[in-house]
Amino acid sequence: MGSLLEVTDLKTHFHTRDGVVKAVDGVSFSLAEGQTLAIVGESGSGKSVTALSLMRLIADPPGKIAGGRILFRDENVLEMSDEQIRSLRGDRIAMIFQDPMTSLNPVFRVGYQIAEALRLHKGMDRKAANARAVEMLELVGIPNAPSRARDYPHQFSGGMRQRGMIAMALACDPDILIADEPTTALDVTIQAQILELMIEMQQRTGAAIIMITHDLGVVADMANDVMVMYAGRQVEYGTTDDVYYRPLHPYTWGLLDSLPRHDISEKGDLCPINGQPPSLIDIPSGCAFHPRCPYAKDVCRTDVPELREIEPGHSSACHFSGEPEFTRDVMPCSADMEVE
Amino acid sequence: MLKYVFRRILQMIPVFLGVTLILFALRIPGLLPGDPVQLIVGERELTPALRAQIEEEHHLNESVPVQYGYYISGILQGDLGRSLQKNRTVTDILLDKFPNTARLAVSAILVEIIIGLLAGIISAVKQYSFWDVVVTLSTSILVSVPVFWLGMLLQMFFGIKIKQWTGGAFSLPMSGMGSPPDLVHLILPSITLASVSTAYVARIMRSQMLEAMGQDYIRTAMAKGLSERVVVFKHALKNALIPVVTFIGIDLGALMGGAILTESVFSWPGVGREIYLAVMQRDWPVVMGGVVVVVLIVMFVNLLVDISYAVLDPRIRYGGTTE
Ligand SMILES: Nc1ncnc2c1ncn2[C@@H]1O[C@H](COP(=O)(O)OP(=O)(O)OP(=O)(O)O)[C@@H](O)[C@H]1O
Ligand SMILES: [Mg+2]
Repeated sequence: MGSLLEVTDLKTHFHTRDGVVKAVDGVSFSLAEGQTLAIVGESGSGKSVTALSLMRLIADPPGKIAGGRILFRDENVLEMSDEQIRSLRGDRIAMIFQDPMTSLNPVFRVGYQIAEALRLHKGMDRKAANARAVEMLELVGIPNAPSRARDYPHQFSGGMRQRGMIAMALACDPDILIADEPTTALDVTIQAQILELMIEMQQRTGAAIIMITHDLGVVADMANDVMVMYAGRQVEYGTTDDVYYRPLHPYTWGLLDSLPRHDISEKGDLCPINGQPPSLIDIPSGCAFHPRCPYAKDVCRTDVPELREIEPGHSSACHFSGEPEFTRDVMPCSADMEVE
Repeated sequence: MLKYVFRRILQMIPVFLGVTLILFALRIPGLLPGDPVQLIVGERELTPALRAQIEEEHHLNESVPVQYGYYISGILQGDLGRSLQKNRTVTDILLDKFPNTARLAVSAILVEIIIGLLAGIISAVKQYSFWDVVVTLSTSILVSVPVFWLGMLLQMFFGIKIKQWTGGAFSLPMSGMGSPPDLVHLILPSITLASVSTAYVARIMRSQMLEAMGQDYIRTAMAKGLSERVVVFKHALKNALIPVVTFIGIDLGALMGGAILTESVFSWPGVGREIYLAVMQRDWPVVMGGVVVVVLIVMFVNLLVDISYAVLDPRIRYGGTTE
């Protein structure tokens, strides 16, 4: 069975005054019907740009999808006409964003904003679309939905707005839901509710989900596959079990060690990754992670490591992945080391 | 919504009292230089008998609060006093001139809204294009040009030069209103009166539009699959319009001020020119009455603007009801 979405060597660059920002530089992954892929990585690693590229929502200028292929149901999204891509957006591929406070338009009623997509893609008249919008709000757990649909976004709390965004995204029953850090802006108890809602909605609608997050804890509960990004490139890619229990890349080790979860980290101590992510204009030579990597050798400073399949379905972009003695247990805490 | 309108009307009362108080202060002896009786008498010779008569007529021998009471109740009954120069009541004179000012103001506002909004939208949507540069440059010039000078330039160009160049075949009327009132006579004065405001509206519209187009909800609208046209002209425009409408409302006061200059330059027989002439002739009742009328108009129009603002922006309409 061909996969729903097949991304090969995607490159998205921004042409800024200071130079070319390679925000996404050769990313490949695939997503099957009804599956969940998590994209994790620190701030600025290119997660959002990857997601926006999938829907061709990168502003041009300054952005440009410089290469690669995005096959949605075997059709290349990058070769579609504007009209074709618009008919995908919101209908087959929908997206929800990090900040529900600013992602809804303050001057239109919530119900109206949900109905808008239905009228556009499903050809519903105003009445039918409004009725469906109310149904969607009920489905995502907004009490008193018929009257809430007539509210404006500022009358909703943050959690309710994100529910509203989810209702909007799922209204047309999309094949893929892209969620760009949907819970980051919400407080902790609401976060759990929203994630639960997403899992429930996925079971109900069968939508595939691309979940962007820098919280690996979220990933474990939801994702089938995980892609770890660093400085615009993918450094590790595999099933959730692979990446969680047999992580291959030192960066992934660092991410897992900075999680306050003792059941996963054998060392038990919190051990954040030292240093800052690099500037994408001036990416370090060789492996972009080498200045922060406690294992860095000469080859890491000169040669860019390719993403290699180390075990079936599990790949890593580290020169040493696959060597038997190169495991997470031997890794020193990078926070203790000097950064060059 | 009705409650909101009612509240706004109540808020107008102290403003009105404040303005009338300031105007009234002009007549309190000792507060401003000059003898109020002398002001009223103007250039006539002031005899003790005349002084007594005037003090009686204008209640000047009463205490100050009582005088103010007379003044306010006069205004509320539509009595603004009598002109010192013409043998007519101020109310009559202003009622006579008011339709002309309204005609000029309305056409200037139309110019301001139509040209200002269009220019702003075009230069935002086509940022850095030729038209954007044209709009940015011309608005920078217009905001710094004095209204009366622009009026004179237009008169010289469209009234005199073009007539010479075309051998009298084409020109625009450069003063007066024409009778019966015709649109051709309106062209130059309304452009002059609207010029500064139009430039501001265009600039604010442009910046607001650019700001709105960078907001997260625009990305949401794009992700929904809406066309760029719908996203710009519906989702961005409705947000961008809110500050522009506010500006137009606030600016109406300035427009009334500009009307005095414009009407004088173009000999436009309106309230503004009447106030100007009255100032020149020291016809104080007309000046004061004219100002009161202008203030009332500005207040009323601001009320309309606030209402339309609330219609545009749900956050105001429902100010703090839920959440
Ligand atoms: N419009 C733009 N112009 C220039 N550079 C951009 C633009 N948009 C994004 N970038 C750059 O692309 C890089 C990746 O950004 P992206 O938003 O994808 O990061 P992210 O992984 O989503 O981070 P976060 O977790 O903070 O959301 C950043 O370094 C950013 O500076
Ligand atoms: Mg992001």
